[in-house]
Amino acid sequence: MSYQEKKILTNMLSGIVVLVAYYIYAFGRYRNGLAEANDLKFWAGAMLLFIGIGVVASIIIMIIFHILYAIAIAVKQRNYDDKEINHTIEASMVEDEMDTLIGLKSSRIGFIFAGIGFVAALVSLMLGQPPFVMLNLLFFSFSIGSLAEGGFSIYYYRKGL
Amino acid sequence: MKKNIEITNTIRTLRFFANEMTQQQLAEKTGVSRQTIIAVEAGKYSPSLELAFRIADAFGVQIGEVFGYETKGENK
Repeated sequence: MSYQEKKILTNMLSGIVVLVAYYIYAFGRYRNGLAEANDLKFWAGAMLLFIGIGVVASIIIMIIFHILYAIAIAVKQRNYDDKEINHTIEASMVEDEMDTLIGLKSSRIGFIFAGIGFVAALVSLMLGQPPFVMLNLLFFSFSIGSLAEGGFSIYYYRKGL
Repeated sequence: MKKNIEITNTIRTLRFFANEMTQQQLAEKTGVSRQTIIAVEAGKYSPSLELAFRIADAFGVQIGEVFGYETKGENK
């Protein structure tokens, strides 16, 4: 598995963890009666909080990922000198035209998921569902869109363009 | 009517004749990742014209000696 694939998988995992944590937190409070369905301030606040947590977690996880990645290469090439190890690490992290193209194609698919979610959110309102359902559908679809983007990136790396 | 074409390449052969140049060495010469070279060599990715020229330049040959195409039926 290449550096890019590992990086995308790590990002996807952190996204899944944050999404699950949001649902445990928000719906846990809702089920326990600590939050009302119509309390849009609570739902918006919870989403903003977890978006913030997601950004911070993603940065921290990426730092840890890069440290572990460098250690893994250093261990694998323990008989080489530092210059050679640095060279291997830098060479494996090169981003080129194929990465850009895969990024563009998979982000387009991600936006399709987000768009479908947006329409589903509007439909839910039309069907008389409370606004928190719409908000959660939006949040969920954007998260799924992001995960789909990662999934399709890996698919394109494996299958080719 | 549009013809379906498949881009072919002779990168593996050219690497062999260039003292068994590794994919990593070719990647470094052309400024892309090894993964991209693997994909191009396997026919999974058609490179940009710029990268195609850089690959040909790395072997010191004309672009036509590296890349070619095969016609595969016709598409409306």
